[in-house]
Amino acid sequence: MTPAAGAAPSGGPAAARDRPPAPVAVRRRWTGSTIGLYAAIVAISAFLLFPVYVIFLMAFLPDNDTIYSPRPPLIPPTFTLSNLTQALTSANSPFLPSMYFSLEIAFLVGAIALLIGIPTAYGLSRLAPRLAYGLTTVMFIVNMLPSITIALPISVQFIKAGLYGSAISIALAQELLALPVTVFLLVGAFHALPPDLENQARVDGASRPQAIFGNLVPLIRPAIVASFLLAWMLSWDESTFALILSNPVHSPLAVEIFYSVTSRGNAVYAVAFSFIATVPVLILVVFLQRYLKGEDLAVGVRG
Amino acid sequence: MTAKLELFRVSKRFGDRLVADDVSLTVDAGEFFVILGPSGEGKSTLLRMVAGIETVDAGLIYVDGVDITNLPPNKRNVAMVFQNYALYPNMNVYQNIAFPLKMQYFPREEIEPKVHEVAQTLGITEILDRRVGQISGGQQQRVALARAIVRNPSLFLLDEPLSNLDARVRFSARAELKKLQRDLGQTFVFVTHDQKEAESLSDRTGVLHLGRFEQIGVFHDIYERPVSRWVGDFVGDYPMNYLPDASDGGEIGFRTEWVDVGAGPYSIVVEVAERQGELVSVLGRDPTGRRIFLTTLKQPAIGDTIRFDLRQKLRFGPDGARLDGAQLPSRPAPS
Repeated sequence: MTPAAGAAPSGGPAAARDRPPAPVAVRRRWTGSTIGLYAAIVAISAFLLFPVYVIFLMAFLPDNDTIYSPRPPLIPPTFTLSNLTQALTSANSPFLPSMYFSLEIAFLVGAIALLIGIPTAYGLSRLAPRLAYGLTTVMFIVNMLPSITIALPISVQFIKAGLYGSAISIALAQELLALPVTVFLLVGAFHALPPDLENQARVDGASRPQAIFGNLVPLIRPAIVASFLLAWMLSWDESTFALILSNPVHSPLAVEIFYSVTSRGNAVYAVAFSFIATVPVLILVVFLQRYLKGEDLAVGVRG
Repeated sequence: MTAKLELFRVSKRFGDRLVADDVSLTVDAGEFFVILGPSGEGKSTLLRMVAGIETVDAGLIYVDGVDITNLPPNKRNVAMVFQNYALYPNMNVYQNIAFPLKMQYFPREEIEPKVHEVAQTLGITEILDRRVGQISGGQQQRVALARAIVRNPSLFLLDEPLSNLDARVRFSARAELKKLQRDLGQTFVFVTHDQKEAESLSDRTGVLHLGRFEQIGVFHDIYERPVSRWVGDFVGDYPMNYLPDASDGGEIGFRTEWVDVGAGPYSIVVEVAERQGELVSVLGRDPTGRRIFLTTLKQPAIGDTIRFDLRQKLRFGPDGARLDGAQLPSRPAPS
């Protein structure tokens, strides 16, 4: 019920005149095309979610019912948390250390992406548009090549430098993929700012770095948070650089799960742990999403 | 502190367009100087070069005898109000005004009284804690002015600060701006395309055309004695009227209010007559077919012949320069 309709009975005749016409119930008509639309939505959702459902079954059913069963059930007869607790608590479970390692790498990737990305994007946004567009395209060339062709020479260099297997080495390699996306996003954000805001700050006594970091960066906060999240998640998932640049006894989580499923360790525990791997992502998204909301940037600028 | 501004042979090129063509100018300390010209003639660029936002291709800029040509904007102690006010949207009104002081590392207990003082001067004390999106255009303009004043700069640059205001607010804002400049006794350089603003605000006006000052002087003198047809047409509510000058092949130029209607050697045939308040605006053609615009008290009929004499007239040569005593700034012949 609308507030106006609720107030009307006590308001007398004067209020009754202002009352909007009573809402007429609109009955949805189930025509053929609506039914077709919903059917398509259900079909596509089922197709996309089915692998997740299989992983869910593997994680929460006894392994006798899943990978050791000739006919795994689609409807689970029983549930168990033992796969999960084993993955977390068994004495030589590799998953928790791997997750810490992955977290370390992901935060490094996010931080470096902003550290290099913000100044780069600012610079590009102040160039002539055609030149800036060309340079941005050049940055994406690395993304066009298969990671594996780049990972091998990089790993040789890291071995020489004594960095092989370290978090920073993996983070730097993944930055090749994350940075172009970050810069692309941030250039757009800088472009959307009125150039006179920076000019005004500089006339008002700010040096160029002060104007950029004190006046412009706070205004593009949503884009900064979004690009940090993107870089972070790209690293969390990334496995080619992670596989080739990491030491097999101390791998990032994605690689460790890959090892456990394909060669060593327990595949069911790995699948169960992959559910734990979504938790940091969820926490980060929930924590950062309030900063994704933009402010109205045009308010201080007229004309 | 109030300072003198000097430009020596300043030039600036954007691609193949010359926006400042060997410009020299002296603005005296405490003067209200208006740069007047149509859009796209380099007015704002000139101001931005003084502020340090645009670089100078050639020439020198002095403030109070100090060469600032190559100083970054934050080292110039020059305040600027942009056409769009450029208020910082992530700060409230107080923080906007306090920003230039914060940049100079003033302690907080010194910033607060200064901000309140200028807020009082401009009548914006009540809105100090508002966000800049919550205030009106007129208030935004005052906040932008307050932010310029608070730091006590040596020079104020204003880039069409009234053009974004509603017509009614604009009139009072203009009067207040003039009063503010008098009270402060500061040097103001004000850019506009609106000759009304130049007339009411300026001590002196410079008319900018094709990257050069075509004429600099008191507005009334420019109006009465433009150095060229171009200036005469640009300054004034109506373009000048022109009649052929039989004596030397040039032209006679005159303004509508210099006309005595009734008798005289000149005549027009009325084409359009429109009553506007007490006067009738009449558009007609003289015997050679030129369009002449003048005003009469009585409504004439279409096709009537009106005779008139001129109390005052200007003579222009075939190149558009005024002949009787004026000098155009020398300009190299177009190649």
